[in-house]
Amino acid sequence: MRFEDELVGLLPRLRRFARGLARDAGDADDLCQAAIERALKSKRQWSAGTRLDSWMYRITRNLWIDERRAAARRGVQKPVDEAVLQIAGDGASQVEAGALRGDVDGAMARLPAEQREVVMLILVEGYAYREAAEILEVPVGTVTSRLARGREALIHLLGEAA
Amino acid sequence: MTIDRATIAAYVDRELDDIAARRVERAAETDPQVASAILRYRALTATLAAHYGPVAEEAVPDRLLDLIEGAGPVDTSLAARRKAKRTRFGIPQWGAIAAALLLGLTIGLRPWLPAEPVTVEGGALVAAGPLSQALDTQLASNQPADAPVRIGLSFRDRLGRYCRSFESVAVDGIGCRTKGRWRLERTVPGAATADYRQAGSGSLAAAAADMMVGDALDANAERAARDGGWRR
Repeated sequence: MRFEDELVGLLPRLRRFARGLARDAGDADDLCQAAIERALKSKRQWSAGTRLDSWMYRITRNLWIDERRAAARRGVQKPVDEAVLQIAGDGASQVEAGALRGDVDGAMARLPAEQREVVMLILVEGYAYREAAEILEVPVGTVTSRLARGREALIHLLGEAA
Repeated sequence: MTIDRATIAAYVDRELDDIAARRVERAAETDPQVASAILRYRALTATLAAHYGPVAEEAVPDRLLDLIEGAGPVDTSLAARRKAKRTRFGIPQWGAIAAALLLGLTIGLRPWLPAEPVTVEGGALVAAGPLSQALDTQLASNQPADAPVRIGLSFRDRLGRYCRSFESVAVDGIGCRTKGRWRLERTVPGAATADYRQAGSGSLAAAAADMMVGDALDANAERAARDGGWRR
């Protein structure tokens, strides 16, 4: 299949992934746009026969991290993760259980970036642990521990029945 | 709790092999804490699926498609695809799946799987429900005569993926293991439309022969591949 055709086929999923990372739908599509531009520019680095989806998810995720860091430097938002540490991850227990019942966006926004991307890749996009580890270029054990923390934090924030 | 959280999470995420999965299921029958943890994890997955699933059903904005179309010669199917009505899960279906998951714990039945044998994911046809289960677990060398899905040949293709041909009432075809799913590379109408069946079976056998690298798996290799989760 042609590169462009395969890319078009991936867009619905890529938009879903971006929606979980970015703050809102507009930001998510901006992120997708940047990822597509990067992919088209770097097309030669992708070798046909290998997985375009992993490559595109990696590009999208790296652009998102870059954007967060740049925004933090501009002072638009607090540095990566610092804004959320107070209530997410290990600190999530300080928030009343179920405080964000029904507010999936709000709960996801409170996860550190490293947990949010793992939650999206495995629980929403359906990747295996090993595949998510390859996309993020981290060991599988890192993926499972981030997933465990992210999952417990979400259950806590969204309430027992999630 | 008789099973640790990481193992329960791996069970819910379908990361365990059959033996380990059965151990968790047995524990859930006698340990309410295990059963409740499974339910909580599944409920979270269902909540996330219900929330984010519909995003993949939305029409892709033109600005994104235009970027790609402007980059190279356009496949004639592209314009049609832009307008094509999405046949994937819509909001009501995602809601129904979430509701079904929240309703109760049915160990071993994988209630999150849709009952339809085929669904569309990422623009590709993939096996679902009973077809997916048959491709996951059923051995051609050891299948009941009245099995609703009949497995034919199992083999590796040029990408190194495991592929399996199958026949069923609704659809016959060849599924190849891709990203933990069975992507349907070939499909023809199944036994329900018997007129097409003979021609279909012949073309599937030819397609399998064309896709195959080396020989089809024998009974031992088929079992080993299944036990290994069909991983490359």
